[in-house]
Amino acid sequence: MKIVTTVKRVTDPDMKVKIKPDGTGIVTDGVEYRMNYFDEYGVEEAIRLKQEHGGEIVVVSVGADASTKEIRTALAMGADRGILVETDEELDSDAVARVLAEVIKEEAPDIVLMGKQSVDTDRNQAGQMLAAYLGYPQATFAFELKVADGWATVGREVDGGTSTKRVKLPAIVTADLRLNEPRYASLPGIIKAKRKKIDRKTPGDLGVDTANRVNVLQYEAPETRAAGQIVESVDELIEKLRTEAKAL
Amino acid sequence: MADFFNPTEEHKQLREMVRSFAEREVAPQAEEHDRAERFNVDLFRRLGSELGLLGVTVPLEFGGSGMDATAAVIVHEELAAADPGFCLAYLAHSMLFVNNLAVNGNDDQRQRILPGACDGTLIGGMCMSEPNAGTDVLAMGTVAREDGDHFVLDGQKMWITNGAISDSELGDVFLVYAKQEERSSRALSLFLVEKGTPGFSLGQKIHNKLGMRASTTAELVFDGVRVPKENLVSAPGGAVKSMMRNLAIERVTLAAMSLGIARRSIEIMNDYARDRAAFGQPLNRFGQIQRHIAESYAEYMAGRAYTYQVASQLSLDAFGNRLDSDGVKLYCSTMGKNVADRAIQVLGGYGYVGEYQVERLWRDAKLLEIGGGTIEAHHKNMTRDLSGLDKLL
Ligand SMILES: Cc1cc2nc3c(=O)[nH]c(=O)nc-3n(C[C@H](O)[C@H](O)[C@H](O)COP(=O)(O)OP(=O)(O)OC[C@H]3O[C@@H](n4cnc5c(N)ncnc54)[C@H](O)[C@@H]3O)c2cc1C
Repeated sequence: MKIVTTVKRVTDPDMKVKIKPDGTGIVTDGVEYRMNYFDEYGVEEAIRLKQEHGGEIVVVSVGADASTKEIRTALAMGADRGILVETDEELDSDAVARVLAEVIKEEAPDIVLMGKQSVDTDRNQAGQMLAAYLGYPQATFAFELKVADGWATVGREVDGGTSTKRVKLPAIVTADLRLNEPRYASLPGIIKAKRKKIDRKTPGDLGVDTANRVNVLQYEAPETRAAGQIVESVDELIEKLRTEAKAL
Repeated sequence: MADFFNPTEEHKQLREMVRSFAEREVAPQAEEHDRAERFNVDLFRRLGSELGLLGVTVPLEFGGSGMDATAAVIVHEELAAADPGFCLAYLAHSMLFVNNLAVNGNDDQRQRILPGACDGTLIGGMCMSEPNAGTDVLAMGTVAREDGDHFVLDGQKMWITNGAISDSELGDVFLVYAKQEERSSRALSLFLVEKGTPGFSLGQKIHNKLGMRASTTAELVFDGVRVPKENLVSAPGGAVKSMMRNLAIERVTLAAMSLGIARRSIEIMNDYARDRAAFGQPLNRFGQIQRHIAESYAEYMAGRAYTYQVASQLSLDAFGNRLDSDGVKLYCSTMGKNVADRAIQVLGGYGYVGEYQVERLWRDAKLLEIGGGTIEAHHKNMTRDLSGLDKLL
């Protein structure tokens, strides 16, 4: 079974995000980067699928040269080889999906495992768009995945509960947090990953025009929340709800 | 991508892996195990079975990861930032036992013991100190007498980290230093002693330690313990050299633990001083608080630069690094304690209680001025080594 799994290098979501004074982006000086959390679940699931069915795991990232680090982490966890589609531009989800579509056409995997969204921009679009560009079936927000006889059975987290979907392979599956517990890249894994191959391409090599179709006009921080208050009486509460919170 | 503290991409990935494990798995259990004076054996075994960290410096062929002193420093720095007590157990196993055997043992011994010690099946320690001999190590009284194809060990060892893994259970395997033939001898030999050997027993698990309570410390008793000759490590009477070799990496990694303690203490005091207000402004607007934070950071970075510089020059099978391996531990141990102390001061009353961690870091930091050589021992060694020099290059 051939599995493609995707990883994105994102700013560490546990750090405080600062917006540039002119609102054109976020401040990246001194910011730590890591693999998108949801992608870790995709990589882990790929490794488990390979353990069960055998085959090969190809890990793909679209991004700057530094994204080789996230690819190496996936290789250290157990993926077999990497592909970096290198670009220094900030791509929108649509451009990423079009780039990935070309890679998938070349690799022709049985299944593509992705994170359901990336924790930096939280757009939740790339997987769905990729499925559309390829004409593949999709099953998003997976918390359970079983593959047999050319079909994937996917338990999905949906509003108000869960649902089960069967999709014919090749298909796109995006991972939610309950799918598995991602392993740590072990030290022997890190050492082995050094010898695994990473191919480099550019969007141009793949014939993809990455001009963004969605443009960001301005970044703004949400208003900071005022501190909570403790009131002495119900009357005071009602008064404050009326005058300060303007909720009544 | 590489930098002074992460000289290769693998070092950087190693640091990130250990940090995320430390934050997610080690930090949350630290307070509980400190309070209960309990060693978290299950978590410890995962360092081997899941992460491959227990044999960080061991050649691949014996089940290790084949990395260098800098990698060992990275692991200790990151683990100690989460839980110094747990990290001390790691150090006693991976540096004092595993690395010691990897460097000083023969192939038979390494093949027999190291794979299990690297995957976490066996938990080991090193026995040098005794009730009546610490700094003055050559005053030790444990003696090994030759008897046919065995050596017979008699004596007691004190303060042995991982000597017990619970209140009543011995650790699995130890490297034990003993006098060759008689007490008055100055020649030491080194032996592998395994749990279950008749006459080898747990004297007591030591309770009520000030800090490092998440690691166990024990007194071990050797009463006519017959050790087969194949368990003699390196030449009979030649163990002082082995000891010196291993003390260098021990001290550098102990220094790394102080770096982890300092980093965590600085993060905590920095956060707190930003958020806590007094007299209408954040604490970090006050000059005295600024001094605590800024001096701590500068001293931490100085210690860090010194430690990584020494680690980068340290080859694990050489000896003769004593001046600087003592030097980094001398500087960093007191630095770590002072930084933790300032963190308590910046947090005021909140710093004095468990919830904010710094009181535990401070208690743990103190051990590093004692274990692996007291700071006075470092003064003595360093001055002796320096006295032979005319100019510093
Ligand atoms: C928690 C813990 C874990 C430990 N783990 C281990 C372990 O795993 N294996 C092991 O073998 N040991 C271990 N030790 C022992 C440790 O290495 C010794 O405690 C240390 O070497 C000091 O020896 P001592 O306690 O006998 O003190 P002493 O040597 O008696 O020293 C007492 C005081 O006298 C000073 N002093 C001694 N000689 C001189 C001198 N010549 N000049 C100036 N001052 C001097 C010392 O610096 C110290 O201040 C551990 C200790 C602790 C507390």
